[in-house]
Amino acid sequence: MQSRTSFFNITLFRKNLTRFWPLWGMASFLGCLVPLAALLQLMHGGWDIRPLEVTAAYYSVLAYAAPIISLLYAVLCAMLVWSYLYNTRSVGLMHTLPIRREGLFFTSFLSGMAMLLIPYAVTGGLCVLISLAYGGFEPVGLLVTVLGVLGESFFYFASATLVAFVVGNIFALPALYFLLHFLAVLLDWLLSTFASGFLFGLNGSYSGAAECLSPTVYLIGKLRVDNTYEEVFVKDAFSRYGGYTDSVLSEVRLENAWVIGVYALAGVVFLALAYALYRRRRSESAGDVVAVGWMKPLFRFGIAALAALLGGRALYALIWEQFQDGNYYDVLPMAVCMIVAGVIGYYAASMLLAKSLRVFKGSWKGLALVAAGCVLLCCTLRFDVLGIAARVPEISEVKEVELYTAGNTYTFYPGEEDGLLEQVRTLHKAIAADADYVQNRYWPYAVDTASGEEQVYTYEYIRLIYTLSNGLTVERYYSVPLTRERMDTPGTYDYLLDRLVNSEAMKAKRLHVGDSRYTVSGGWLYSNRGNGGVDLSSREAAQVLEALGKDAAAGAWGTYDWFSTDDGGAYALDFELTFTRPSVYGGHNTDWISIILRPGMDNTVACLLDLGLVTEDQLVTYAELYPEDYGYEAEYNAAALSGRIPAGAEYAYEDPSAGVGVIGGADGPTEIFTAGVTY
Amino acid sequence: MIEVKNAVKKFDGFAALDGATLSVPAGSVYGLVGPNGAGKSTVIRHLTGIYRQDEGTVRLGGEDVWENAALKARIAAIPDDWYYFMQSTVRDMMRFYRGFYPAFSMERYEKLKEVFQIDEKRAIRRLSKGMQKQAAFWLALSCMPDYLILDEPVDGLDPVMRRQVWSLVMGDVSQRGTTVLVSSHNLRELEDVCDHVGIMDRGRVLLERSLAQLQDNMVKLQVVFKDGVNEVPPELPVLHASRVGRIHTLIMRMNAEEATARVSAYDPLLVDAVPLTLEEIFIYELGGADYAVKDIVL
Repeated sequence: MQSRTSFFNITLFRKNLTRFWPLWGMASFLGCLVPLAALLQLMHGGWDIRPLEVTAAYYSVLAYAAPIISLLYAVLCAMLVWSYLYNTRSVGLMHTLPIRREGLFFTSFLSGMAMLLIPYAVTGGLCVLISLAYGGFEPVGLLVTVLGVLGESFFYFASATLVAFVVGNIFALPALYFLLHFLAVLLDWLLSTFASGFLFGLNGSYSGAAECLSPTVYLIGKLRVDNTYEEVFVKDAFSRYGGYTDSVLSEVRLENAWVIGVYALAGVVFLALAYALYRRRRSESAGDVVAVGWMKPLFRFGIAALAALLGGRALYALIWEQFQDGNYYDVLPMAVCMIVAGVIGYYAASMLLAKSLRVFKGSWKGLALVAAGCVLLCCTLRFDVLGIAARVPEISEVKEVELYTAGNTYTFYPGEEDGLLEQVRTLHKAIAADADYVQNRYWPYAVDTASGEEQVYTYEYIRLIYTLSNGLTVERYYSVPLTRERMDTPGTYDYLLDRLVNSEAMKAKRLHVGDSRYTVSGGWLYSNRGNGGVDLSSREAAQVLEALGKDAAAGAWGTYDWFSTDDGGAYALDFELTFTRPSVYGGHNTDWISIILRPGMDNTVACLLDLGLVTEDQLVTYAELYPEDYGYEAEYNAAALSGRIPAGAEYAYEDPSAGVGVIGGADGPTEIFTAGVTY
Repeated sequence: MIEVKNAVKKFDGFAALDGATLSVPAGSVYGLVGPNGAGKSTVIRHLTGIYRQDEGTVRLGGEDVWENAALKARIAAIPDDWYYFMQSTVRDMMRFYRGFYPAFSMERYEKLKEVFQIDEKRAIRRLSKGMQKQAAFWLALSCMPDYLILDEPVDGLDPVMRRQVWSLVMGDVSQRGTTVLVSSHNLRELEDVCDHVGIMDRGRVLLERSLAQLQDNMVKLQVVFKDGVNEVPPELPVLHASRVGRIHTLIMRMNAEEATARVSAYDPLLVDAVPLTLEEIFIYELGGADYAVKDIVL
């Protein structure tokens, strides 16, 4: 007679909790310190708390602290409740007991969950009591937080449980758990930085393409606590204004809370997989690093691949980078370094699996695969077999394109401005096609403009981010040289860039004219001549923006001079306008433009004067305000730097009004230096 | 009845059990013997449901052991390396066992307390190896098992306690019909308690018989041949022969009467049949399987 299935055994549950009480007891104690500190603060300050503030605090814990706490604490609980699997004696006892695998599995899982949740319950319970005592109880926020913590805890413990059934050694459990939890982010970074060492336009930044596979990073990035404040006037008889304005929290929202639900569902899948693995698990695997037979090659080659990527780059940096030709990796030395590191990783993994140092016999096939993989990866990237560097997404593929150049960020949307988008793509193609020219043509960055030498080239940083319809992004970063000669030559990227940025459409776009997504929200103006800075209200900013639009239409503003030198002709004002637009992730994004005010921008200047944001007195140019940096004094400084002024001579006196400078030493004037005036 | 048929168990390609077959009649005490690495502990781990065989069947009372909680509730096992929870006392472990084994008898537990005289509130890890073994017996016998599986059970016990433990086990066999399978290298002791014996080597059970059959199937003859006959006649089916002076000691696989008759055909001066000990049977049987003490000069 086969026994009937029992999923729970109270004796085992109780035993687990009593055996491992030091862990959850200590965690509960540490958790208690938080409400205790809050209580002391409240008692000491004599404050009261508002329900929404408590909710905001709960949500913050749920969004930012709980994922990290659960990540760390879940693996500790898993290490304890599943520890019996990793010792032949203990696995012998547990599997001899008259209980089926499902009974052991679910009872141990529930006891682990209980160990995980007890500290949360104790801490949360105390927080609720305090909020009740101080009138800050808010049931909806509390319920959402409880559900969220349950979901997160379940997911992390289920994932730790799955890993527990993959490994056969207690120390391998946390190692593999943390590796898997951050593998997507690690691989993203590794592959991005590695590819950027081979491919033109990639800068090795983390792409976040598979971030959802690294739950802690994703949860912290995705969950947002959106607090809305309202300004209220508080009457105060003692105030000279009859009161004061205060910001009051009016709404608290936890954005993207559904992500926790999705992870909790993933936790159910992990749990099912873990149970399936337990059903097939062989007790004799206790002590093995990897307990599942078919995962052993995966582990061996996975470690080899990580070692090749990480160790290969480290070896290359140590041995070859100093001899590298250009900005990109030399393929042969990199392949050799990767093979060496990959082979070390392969043998290390083999030794861990075999629990023996004698793993060399018959390993040549594995080594050949590792070597072939390294060579294949290097060659694929070096010769851009996949066409990554040259890839320019079609308009039909993209949802949004962001271009950063000339100090501004522009966002383009298909269907609304396909003409501009096509120009952007053409520019991108031209840059990608000129990869050899960009990589092999070097100019020094420093140009002696103060000596009056005409600047014939400059470097421009261009960033292109295509957000594709499938949610992925294609990001390219270029630092390209621009020359006057090429800028006049149709077809070159210099020419295309100039045509694009200085088009009327782009000028309007810079000011977000006619784009309902953007709302001018304010601004900031700082005068270098006294009075400090002033903040612009949204109304003032809108008026200034309108005036700026008129100046742009009149040609007084908006043409970008790629080779401009700072002649000091702009007004000594730092001026920015700020815009907001709804974010695809919820909340708002902020955009701003920095405006250089020059004489001739009559509409804008008049508007600023009308609004009282500047005075006539403040409308001085940099050259007028800082003559030592411009004009004859700048020439003098340049001459001194270049050695055209005799050694030992020093600047002693200046008189801007006379336009005369006296150069002299300790024994009196030796030369009179003038700007524009000859004596 | 315990029944293992053609059981195969491989660890990384190595066959720890290679078609092992054994049968333990209900209510008997079965001694499983064999050299180190023969597969005895592997058989026991199959019988207690720790391992699952790759091939073959492992049954107790006609039921498969694997994942059979009801059957396992009737099995108590004492492995060579008994596991207890680190901080546990005997009393803690008793509560644990009591929660799993429905037939666990507190009455017997209390009675056995007087036999073993172990402080049940003392941490087991603080007890000596022998006392830990006593604790294991205490708990296993309190489970009131129908099947008792023992791996080197009296290893570490003093002679008095050995007798005490065997007496308790034998009491269960006679009063409750408990079926006992015991694996041990102490053949002298097994000889006293077992009524059936199985000899294992290299993952197989080479032979299994009742002890009486086993002893009846092999005989030791002490023979003095007539003058002029210095060697054992080659026609005689001798497993092992040795000589001290004129006395030849012959081990033959047949019963005493048949062996005496075969030797008598050579008209010896003296023929005397002596029963073999289990240890001798073990040595000579395995000698035939290429497992014997080798004369090695170091």
